[in-house]
Amino acid sequence: MSTTTEYVQPKASAQEVGAAEGGASAWVRPATLGIVGLTVFYMLYRIYQGWAGWEYGLDSTAPEFQTYWMNLMYAQLIIVPALAIIWWGYLWFTRDTNLSALAPAEELRRYFVLLGLICVYTFAVYWGASYFAEQDGSWHQTVMRDTSFTPSHIGIFYLSFPVYISCGVAALIYSITRLPRFSRNISIPFVIAVAGPFMILPNVGFNEFGHAFWIMEEWFTAPLHWGFVVLGWTALGVFGLACQLCYGILDVMRRMNVWEGQELV
Amino acid sequence: MSMSSTTAGGAAAEDPVIAAAGLTPAGAKVSRNFDWVIVLIALFLVTGAFHLHYMLLAGDWDFWVDWKDRQFWPTVAPAAAICFPAAVQYFLWTFFRVPFGATLCIVALMLGEWINRVLGFHLWARFPYALIWPSLLIPSALFLDAVLLLTRNWLLTAIFGAWGFGLLFYPSNWVMLAAYHLPVEHMGQTTSVADMVGYTFPRSATPEYLRFIERGTLRTFGGHSSAVSAFFSAFLCMVIYIGWWFMGWAFSKMIWVANPLASYMGLKNSQQS
Repeated sequence: MSTTTEYVQPKASAQEVGAAEGGASAWVRPATLGIVGLTVFYMLYRIYQGWAGWEYGLDSTAPEFQTYWMNLMYAQLIIVPALAIIWWGYLWFTRDTNLSALAPAEELRRYFVLLGLICVYTFAVYWGASYFAEQDGSWHQTVMRDTSFTPSHIGIFYLSFPVYISCGVAALIYSITRLPRFSRNISIPFVIAVAGPFMILPNVGFNEFGHAFWIMEEWFTAPLHWGFVVLGWTALGVFGLACQLCYGILDVMRRMNVWEGQELV
Repeated sequence: MSMSSTTAGGAAAEDPVIAAAGLTPAGAKVSRNFDWVIVLIALFLVTGAFHLHYMLLAGDWDFWVDWKDRQFWPTVAPAAAICFPAAVQYFLWTFFRVPFGATLCIVALMLGEWINRVLGFHLWARFPYALIWPSLLIPSALFLDAVLLLTRNWLLTAIFGAWGFGLLFYPSNWVMLAAYHLPVEHMGQTTSVADMVGYTFPRSATPEYLRFIERGTLRTFGGHSSAVSAFFSAFLCMVIYIGWWFMGWAFSKMIWVANPLASYMGLKNSQQS
């Protein structure tokens, strides 16, 4: 019988150590694929905008506008949701139904895959909320708008927003279907971090209503735009999510004997 | 706890920090991977969400040099800019004792702004850089972080750090802005260089009345108008910092609710409970 109150861990086996080290780098692949893929895609899109914006994007009544911009938007509205549904469906239908028997090494690997997906989600948020949003200012403060579907709006509202929504929901589904902690209970900070930025897309309806009926000119700090601001704050839900992931990973490390920490509260 | 007797993985950690944390080499590898991916997530998240917040609350002053006035720019820009730094300082300082939350936010903001000033404002909308440079906030952020690090107290940081954050804004930018406030004569009228640049590169979707932003008795207020604005901004920053520190607290809550989808997931054994 032990005479000490110290928490003493048994030594980790070589197999457990190897599994921990391998699982920890599982975020690199999804993150690299997502970051490189999105960067290349959006740079090509930016080149298209640069060419077709000034050439065919100034007059929405021109036939060329229909050809080069409206058709592009219709394609986006079909392709992005279709890919999202395929992605989400794949994650749901390939879910793990035996999570109570999940090995700690595999659980650790899944935690890091989830972190890689969250990384891709935040990168997609960067493109929508930072790059395309301010680019929208540069275009609309310069060029008179005569439609809600401008070369800038077609990029931000109907491409970059659906893309980050797809990534965020995919990460949420991954967590619910593959990690025991996240399948037993729903992480409210995670839901906030995904649902809040998602609501920015429906808020576009209010934005377009306002621009159509109240404020034709472009004043970026107008109260009409503040709905985007408040919904953007919800991305801070990642704070609570990061804490939950921290605790989850520490718990797995303890079960794998590769951490000497005390029992988690 | 005895390190030598309990270290797993075959060898004691040699790094004193890792040893103090009780991490084995394998645990340290997991921890470092977590650090790297969190750094990337934080960078992308803050750049996206903070940039959206800042551009829609202080963007017009930040976009255009002829909007960088003495009344609203030094008042609005720091007040809008201190929100995310306060929340991120709460999260990073409370949970990780990382003392550069404000600097991280501001550097991420500057990065996001400059990427678009080059690719959007300059290369797409064809404006010169002289018209579109963003406000500089890095000295303010360094001061805010330094006060938190030295005092280790959020209330003192709100009182002194946030106050300095607002006050430092105008002097930090003055070196870049001063030349644009010089008077020039154009078609028999006196105007500033900043306004002259604005007249030369018109924003046709931005009505003229929105650019004349100095109101009231400001133009007859001696040389003190920008100082008055800076002190008012410092006061605003103190109040906003406190509010956003608690925003960071609220968003850091680890809240769980039972998964309502669990019964549809076909989970085996006791997983559903």
